[in-house]
Formats: sequence, C-alpha cells, structure tokens
Amino acid sequence: MSTTEVTGEVTTPAEPVAPVRSTRPRVRRLLSTAGPLAALLGLCVVFAALAPGFATANNAMAIVEQAAIPVVLAMGATLVVLVGGVDLSIEGVMAASGLTFVLLAANSVNGNDLGLLAVLLALGVGLLFGVVNGVLHVVVRVPSFLVTLGTWFVGLGVATVLFGTATPQLADPSLAAWAGGHWLGLPVVVVFALAAVAVTVLLCKGTRLGMHTYAIGGDEATSRLAGVPVGRTKIILFAVAGLLSGLGGVLATIRLGVGDVSVGSGSLFLTLSAVVVGGTLLSGGRGGPLHSLVGVLLLVVLGNGLLLSGASPYIQQGAQGLIIVVAVIATGWPARSRLRVVK
Amino acid sequence: MIAVATKTSAERTSTEMRAPEGAAQAVSRTTRDRLRLAGPSVVLVALVLLVALAEPNFLSMNALAVVSAQAVPILLLGLGQMFVILTGGIDLSVAALASLATVILATVIGSLGPLAVVVTLVALTLIGALTGLLIVVGQVPSFVVSLGALGFWGAVALVASGSTTIYISEGYDAIFWLSSWTVLGLPMAVWAGVAAVAAVFCAMRFSPRGNVFHLVGLGEKAAMMSGVRTRIVRIGAFALSGFFAGAAGIVLSAQQQSAAPQLADSLLLPAIAAVLVGGCAITGGIGGAWRVLVGALVVTVLRVGGSVAGIDPSFQQIVYGAVVIVAVAVTLDRSRLSIIK
Amino acid sequence: MTSLLELRNVTKKFGPNTVLDDVSLSIAPNEVVGLIGENGAGKSTLLKILAGVHRQDGGRMVLGGREVSFGSPADAADHGIGVVHQEQSLLPNLTVGQNLILGHEGDTARAGFLRRRKIRARAQEMLSVVESTVDPGALTETLGFAQRQMVEVARAVGGRQVEHPPLLILDEPTSVLEPEDVEVLHRRVTALKERGSVIFVSHRLDEVLRFSDRVYVLRDGKVVGERIASAATESELYQLMIGKGAAEEIYSSERKQAVPRTGTPTLSVRNLTCGGKAKDVSLDVHAGEIVSVVGVVDSGREEVARAVFGAVPVDSGTVEIDGQRSAPGSPADAVRSGVAYVPAERRVEGMIAGATVAQNIATVHPVKAGGGRISSGARVEETARGWIEKLGIRPADPDADIARLSGGNQQKAVVAKWILGDGLKVLVLDHPTRGLDIGAKEDLYAVFRDLSDRGVAILVLADTLDEAIGLGHRVIVMRDGEITGAFDSPPGNPPSKLQLLEKMM
Repeated sequence: MSTTEVTGEVTTPAEPVAPVRSTRPRVRRLLSTAGPLAALLGLCVVFAALAPGFATANNAMAIVEQAAIPVVLAMGATLVVLVGGVDLSIEGVMAASGLTFVLLAANSVNGNDLGLLAVLLALGVGLLFGVVNGVLHVVVRVPSFLVTLGTWFVGLGVATVLFGTATPQLADPSLAAWAGGHWLGLPVVVVFALAAVAVTVLLCKGTRLGMHTYAIGGDEATSRLAGVPVGRTKIILFAVAGLLSGLGGVLATIRLGVGDVSVGSGSLFLTLSAVVVGGTLLSGGRGGPLHSLVGVLLLVVLGNGLLLSGASPYIQQGAQGLIIVVAVIATGWPARSRLRVVK
Repeated sequence: MIAVATKTSAERTSTEMRAPEGAAQAVSRTTRDRLRLAGPSVVLVALVLLVALAEPNFLSMNALAVVSAQAVPILLLGLGQMFVILTGGIDLSVAALASLATVILATVIGSLGPLAVVVTLVALTLIGALTGLLIVVGQVPSFVVSLGALGFWGAVALVASGSTTIYISEGYDAIFWLSSWTVLGLPMAVWAGVAAVAAVFCAMRFSPRGNVFHLVGLGEKAAMMSGVRTRIVRIGAFALSGFFAGAAGIVLSAQQQSAAPQLADSLLLPAIAAVLVGGCAITGGIGGAWRVLVGALVVTVLRVGGSVAGIDPSFQQIVYGAVVIVAVAVTLDRSRLSIIK
Repeated sequence: MTSLLELRNVTKKFGPNTVLDDVSLSIAPNEVVGLIGENGAGKSTLLKILAGVHRQDGGRMVLGGREVSFGSPADAADHGIGVVHQEQSLLPNLTVGQNLILGHEGDTARAGFLRRRKIRARAQEMLSVVESTVDPGALTETLGFAQRQMVEVARAVGGRQVEHPPLLILDEPTSVLEPEDVEVLHRRVTALKERGSVIFVSHRLDEVLRFSDRVYVLRDGKVVGERIASAATESELYQLMIGKGAAEEIYSSERKQAVPRTGTPTLSVRNLTCGGKAKDVSLDVHAGEIVSVVGVVDSGREEVARAVFGAVPVDSGTVEIDGQRSAPGSPADAVRSGVAYVPAERRVEGMIAGATVAQNIATVHPVKAGGGRISSGARVEETARGWIEKLGIRPADPDADIARLSGGNQQKAVVAKWILGDGLKVLVLDHPTRGLDIGAKEDLYAVFRDLSDRGVAILVLADTLDEAIGLGHRVIVMRDGEITGAFDSPPGNPPSKLQLLEKMM
C-alpha cells in the first residue's frame, strides 16, 4: 500500500509490499525540526548585521505583529496539510468573512451594529466554507486542491456581491481598537495568534482527533483499516481551517478599517510557503503547528529584513516563490527513487 | 531443511476480481465517456441560445467576432494547460506567465520588431521547461512548484515593468494585425487559435508518439516500464504550457496594445475551467485540443453572455468556482484514484 | 468448547478460478496450527477470509461456537481475530503506544482528550502479553523490524474483549527475521498459546514443524493433509504439497532444443550487486536459451531482473547485452538495447489501464505499430488485430479498454507489445503467469517457446518449480541474494524439485 502524495501517485498495488526502511529517520526528523529554526536564527544574524534598524526592540515587535495574522492562517493550513490535503481557499474565505463581519458590525453602509456577534457570525461563515470544503472532498471525492481552488473563487465572489458599490468602513470603536490596542500587554492580534497556536498544538498533541490526524497523514489506508474515522476527521479539520481563515479575515479587515475583497491577497502564498518551509510535509503526517510557526517567522523576518535593506517589495514575492520551491524540493529530496511517480 | 517456493503475496490478484466488476462498470464508463464528448458542445449551444433569448443581437457576426476574440487567450492558455493536465499534473503559473510574456514582448518589441515574438515564445518555453524540470527531478507535487513559479515569475514581471502598464507604440506593427485584420469577419488571432488547435490535434493524431501525454496520464508507471521517457514527456508538457502562455500574452498585447505585469492573472481559473468543462479529465489521460476549444467557448460565453444578458459580474467568480467543482466531480475518474488527496 | 474456529466446506471463487475448494479445518483453543502450501494453493485467500478482507462464497465459519461471516477487517478484529501480515501495518510516525490503541481508544481518551498515563498503562499491558520491552513512548519508526513485529502481535492480540480466546494469525512472520529473533518469536508464540490460539503460516517447513502443534497442507485450494507436527517429517509434508501427479505438459518441454552455449552470451550479468538484496550475482543467457530463476522471498531474483531492465539502480557489477556494456539508467535505455520486461505487477507496471488494447500494444514500438513516421489509427488497429489473433486475445476488440479484459488476455497484450518490435534480444519475464488460468498459461508458454526458437534470450522468474523446470533450459536457484545452485533441465532429464528446494533454503 503505497501512500499517494498530494494529488500524487494514484496507484495502489494490491500485493503486499516490503516495508520501506526510512533512511535514518532520526537524522531526517532532526533536520526538519532544527533546519528551519537554524535558518531563522541565521537570517536574524545576517539581517542584524546588514540591515539598518533590524535588531531593535521596536522592529522585533513589528515583526511579531506582522506575523500574527499569517500565524493564525498557518495553523489552519497546517491541520489540513497534516492529513494529506491542502486548502487553497484561504483568501476567498478571508474575503467573505471579512465582508460579512464589516457589514454586520457598525459600518458606514448599513445600520447594523452587532459588535462582537458580528465577529462570531463572520467566524461562522468561515466555518461554513470549511465544512463545504470538507464535505465536497470526502463525500463527492474531489481532490482537496480542486475543491478549495473552486471555493477560493466562490469566496471572492461572495465577497464581491456583499461589497456592493460603496466601500463599507468599520465604525465600531471598540472593535476598531483591536487594531492598535493591547490585551495583557500584547497587541490584540498577537494574543489571537498565540491563542490559535495554543489551541492547535493542544489539538495535535493532546486529543484523539490530533492522533487520528497524524495517523491518516502517515498512511490513510492503514488508518482506515485500523478503524480511524477518516472522513469525519477530515471534515472537522477542513472546518477548523475555514474557521481560522475566517478569523484571519476578520482581524485583517479590522486592521484595514474597511471591507475589501482583496483583504487576503497574497496570504495563500505566504501561508503555504510557511507551512512547507517550516518542515510540515505535504504528504502529511509529519511536522505540526510549531513547525509552521517557525516557518511564518522565517518568511516575515525575510520580508522585513529585505525591506529594511532597501529591496523592492516585489523582490519579497519573488523570494517567497523561490523559497517555496526550494523548501518543497529539499524536504522531499530523501524520498526520491528511480521509478517513483508524483503528480 | 526443506522449504517451499512460495511467495505469500496475493496470487489471485485483484485483476481476477476486477474482471467481473469491470464488465459491469463498462456500461457506465462508455456512457460517461459519451457524455464527456457530447456534453460540452450541447452546453455551448444551449448557453448561446439562452443568451440570445435575452439579447437577440448576440447571434450577429459582430457578437461572434467579439466573443471569439475574447476566447483566444483563454483558449491558448487552456491548450498549454491541457498538456499538463493530460499528464496528470496542473500548472498554476500559466496566467502569471502570460502576463510576464506581455511585459517581455513590450520591452523588446521596440528594438527587435517581429523577432520579439520569437524571443518571447522561446523565453516562456524555457521558463515552462524549468518548472517542469524542478517538478520531475525533485519528484514533488506540480501544484506546489507551479504555485511557487506563479509567485516568482509574477514578481519578475512586476520588477521588469516597474509595476505599471507599458503602452506599446514602437514595434506594434509586428503584432497589430492579430487584432485588426479580419478574415470572414473574425480577427486573425481567432484564426491563429483555430490553427493552433488543428495543429495540436493533427500532431496528436498522426504522430506515432502523439498519444504519449495520454499514456503518461493514464499509467505513468506502466508507460515508464514500457520504455517511454516519461520524465521528458512531463517536462515537455510544462514547456508547452509555457509556450502557449507566451502565445496568449502576445495575443493579449495585440488586443490591448499594452502590457502589464498582472494583465492575464485573472485568466487562471477560466483557463482551467475551459480544459475541464471541455471534457478533459483532471485525473489525466483523457482529453484533446477540440475539447479545449469547446470549453474555452463555453467559458467565454459564460463571461460575455453574463454581462450581455444583464447578470451581475460579481457573480461570475461564484459561477466559475462552482463550474470547476462540478466539472471535476463529473469527469473525475474515481476508479483510478483509490486514495483521494 | 471443543474448537475455537471451525471452517466447514469453505469455497471461494474469483471469476472462473476456484481458489478454495471445499476447505474444512478446525482449530482448538490454546493450540498453534501451521498452514502450508505452494504458491497458488490458496493460503493467502484463506487468511483473507479469516481476516475479513474477503467473504467466502460457500461454506460456513464457526468461531467460538457461533457462526460468523466478516464484512470487513474491523469486523474480524472485533471478533477477536488478529492478523500480523508480512508487510507492516503500523503508522511509522506515531508512538508505539498510539499505534497500539489506534482505532479503539476506549477509555484512553476522555471527551476527546488523550490520557497519556492511561495510554502508557494500556500499552504496557498489551506489550507485556508478548513480553516485549519496547518503550510505549518510542516513535515506531525508530524500532527494528523484530520489535515492530512484536508490537503488531501485541496489537493483534490485545484489546478486544470477546467471550472466546483470541485467534492470532501470523503470516510469514520469519522471512525477514534474524535467527536470534526467530528464537524470541518462538518463545513468545509458545507463551501466547496459553491465552489463545495461533495460525502460523510460513514457507519454511522446519519452522512450521517447530512452532506448530498440528499442520494443515493446502494444495490447489483443497486441504490435502492434516498432521500432528511432532509426528510429521518435512519430506512427508513436502510430498503432500506438491502432490504425486506429474505436472501437465503445458510447457512444451519436448520442444526444447539443446542450446549451443558458445560464443558471446546475449545477456551477461557479472558480479551484480543491486537493490539492497542481490549480491555478486553472475549469470549468462545465450541466444535461444530460457533460464529460469527460482527463489523464495528476498532471494534477490526480482532485483536482478529489474536491474537488467534498468528499473533498479546497479550498485556494482556489470550487465552486458551481446557483449556490449549496458548501463541502463532507466527502462527507456534498456529498451533501446533490446531488453524487454514483463512485470509481475501487471496492473500497475505492465498495462496502461484506461487505454485500449491497441494503444497498449503500440506503446513500446509506436512507429512499427503505426506503419511508419506518419501514424494512422487504422494501421495501429490493424497491427493490434494481428496480434489479437495470433495470441488469441479475447474479446477480439482492439478498441476495448484493456482493464476490462481478464488477466490472461491482459498479459497477452502486454507480451505482444514487446515482441512486436524487431531487435528484441533479451526478454525478462517476472512471474509471467501469476494468477492466470491454465488456458492462458499454455498459450503464453507456447509464445515463449516460439521466441526461444527464434533466438531470443529469455530470463524468467518462475512462479512455481514446475514452471521453472518445464520451461527452462537451465534452472538457477537463488537464496538471500546469492546464487546457490544451477541445474540443466533438458527434456527427459529434469532436476527434481527436491534438488531445487534444498538449494533454496
């Protein structure tokens, strides 16, 4: 039973196959955990030397704040990747939730003023998208990257419809305060990010759902035979990812101050790169939320450092594209073999 | 000590089991194949009629010219994507590459004139081949690398163009004819598109190795074990994808007399939709050039017809997304995917 | 109760093949029962029925006094039947403890949260049953094979509470074990007898006799013998397994011409080490010669065959075709040198499922099949029709999806694609008739005989010893990666299976 890679090997021989001895698993695991962390530290050192203003407390705070929303998104993306799938709908869900939120809270376009409830309902929208993703993938058996490719654009479309003609501006002072405000001494977004990390880590390490997630990612067929509820688990994970995308959309909208269909623009890239770079394997079963946290920090530090060094902002996008390719090839390198097929 | 020559692997393999299953599935398979073949054309005719109901002028020569001209970039992107999808992969970078192509073209057309077209096509083909090379040598999923390529080359386009639109004045005569000259009322670009479809079709039909993309998509391992150089085939598919992205960019530049770093970016989903709706299976191995043509027309009629019939453009995204999912769900060959990721 | 498990007149068919024919056996509580049989005897199908992978077509299964029929592996597991297969079914990225409780967490999880200490305790409990000292917190992939096997046994035995003692099925447990580990396994199995019963399946007769109390012998889907292990001898069991009757003359062995083994061999393998299994293997195949290679699991013969075809990297040694050094870096290179390979995994590597019969036949030599540089569908179809007729492929429809054909016909199409081209020098056959009905086998053997007469060098990894002896001019025996024997097999004076088996183990 050879596991298929993401949209990958589609053949499953019925005959038993000799056990694949993983090449020095300890070394690989060490590399995947320590590698990104080392790279992050290395980058910090390099930029501290080369970029003016990098190594200051203010900049560090800026980095952390900038990383907050991507971290929230990365937690959701990690859960889906761990189980062997992928969620491309992040930006669409962010847009739909963001618009929902701003139109339900006090705004310049209509008379709603639901306050905190608006946040919750917007999260509900995200959850709904996630459930749709999960159900279409599990029940209709469409590959996850295609389902989420579709819902990405459906989400953008929904947001466009909601947007209407005039830009809705957020007019709720208490919610708007989240953008610059502090809770417990930390910026609000950072608190959310930390909470997201904590919840995801708890889920992965401490719950039965988490164990099942890793099992399915490790070998879906074996897990199924062992009695793991594969379908249900996947739907739940997609739902949680949708919820977190929704949260990201709400937070980004608050920061922006207005409803905007392109509120999530560029997030997919950053999030997916962070997950891959952080060491979570796209085939599933390896890595986790802490890996992705390092991945996000790595990319944000990279962008920050490049900016402070005077590089054009487009270089950042180019660098991210390059990094995602390098990271996925590097992490997949040990698994190569002559006849292997990965689509 | 005596032992026995046995191998306890399943002797009566699932092939024996599958024979009876297969016979039962045979009926539903050919029906589904027929649906895949005829369905899109029926859908196209139905759509045209629907739009014509709302706006009778739609059936005029003028409207046909407009629709077909709009369809050409999507058709070209779709053709390139078709090769990749046939082999079982996907190329998410095609639209960004087309945008890059417009920028490259606009940059060199002033000095090179018609040669600029060649330069653009060569450059894009090489870029596509590079993407394919990384995917094949690294043995990594195509969607990730093509996503990275999307970002990288998109950034290159932004930097090279200074992130503004470039108006093409000098050298425009090298490509203006694509948009301005018409034969039988249809612009040359349309005829070029049709010619491309016909060329691809003939190459696939009449060359001994013409069906190699299909074979690799249906059974890459078996093809490999039959001596087919599957890695070259897959890299070639991506190279072709780059080539056609370049062609699409050239047509776009001709039509708009300008280049912009994100000019074609919104065409990614329509291009994929065109391939899938036309009847190519996302799992690979099934499809052809004429199907992509029908799919491109369906997608364009959906776009244009929507506004002609007075439907809110913001709904288009939703429709696209839904169409892609439905098309995939219908054409997906689940018998070949035991585990769906 | 008198017996823990009873099978009464169990029958199973796959298509036209009757794989299990009126099988009856019984297993008492607290005993170890051995199950032996040649390849194709029906052992693995029987195990699959017990494990809930298949359902029997006829007959009854009585477990713990109650009649049962399993719809799924989970079903069988719930009834107290645990299977440890040859391939590992543990998740490498989970801990030992997690693997042990996976799927039936029970009270190790409360409100969805894992209770670490409970898991550890339960794991320890399960591991102690098999006297394993593995740390439940260790990551499964860090364990050695033998340790993982113990965890699998612990998982198979522990857990489900049923009224009757558990039944553990061990499928080829020792083929990859070191001798010391086999000792350990023996002790554990003996200890396990006190808790329940064990079915021990192996091709190593000496071990079967050592581990078991009683032994059943299967041949051609029937139970042909039942013996008390302490009273039985290996040769007795062996005789039961292969039967008395002479093998049917389907190999056309009387047509075997003596092959002049002079001059440069068409295929020459020298000191080949490859695939992690084969070590320093050297053999020659001359034009027109058929060389059969036999060996049990992990003999290395598959790796040698695939290395000749470029499907497996060569670590050291050489492969020469007609005296020319051939270093196939890929199957495509090998094809250019005139090597063909019919794989064992037909579904995945042999045929392109979803493509038509004609397309499959044209895959290797499309120019020849299509009639030139400009191909035409009609010509390809014509070529295919020719081969369909020549090889007797049914249904005789070149446009049929090859996946719809029966195994034998599929294999004929696979062979056709290779022999279609000129320039075929070496034909490598990897279990070419596995799973095929007798008619298809006969047809294929005739084809191979024709090719041999035409001067093609053939290397065949035989399914059964009969096939090796009947088909080959020579039979080579491999064991643990090395060649341990070579026998000439002229018509009228073939080597005995006993001779071959001695070298195989």
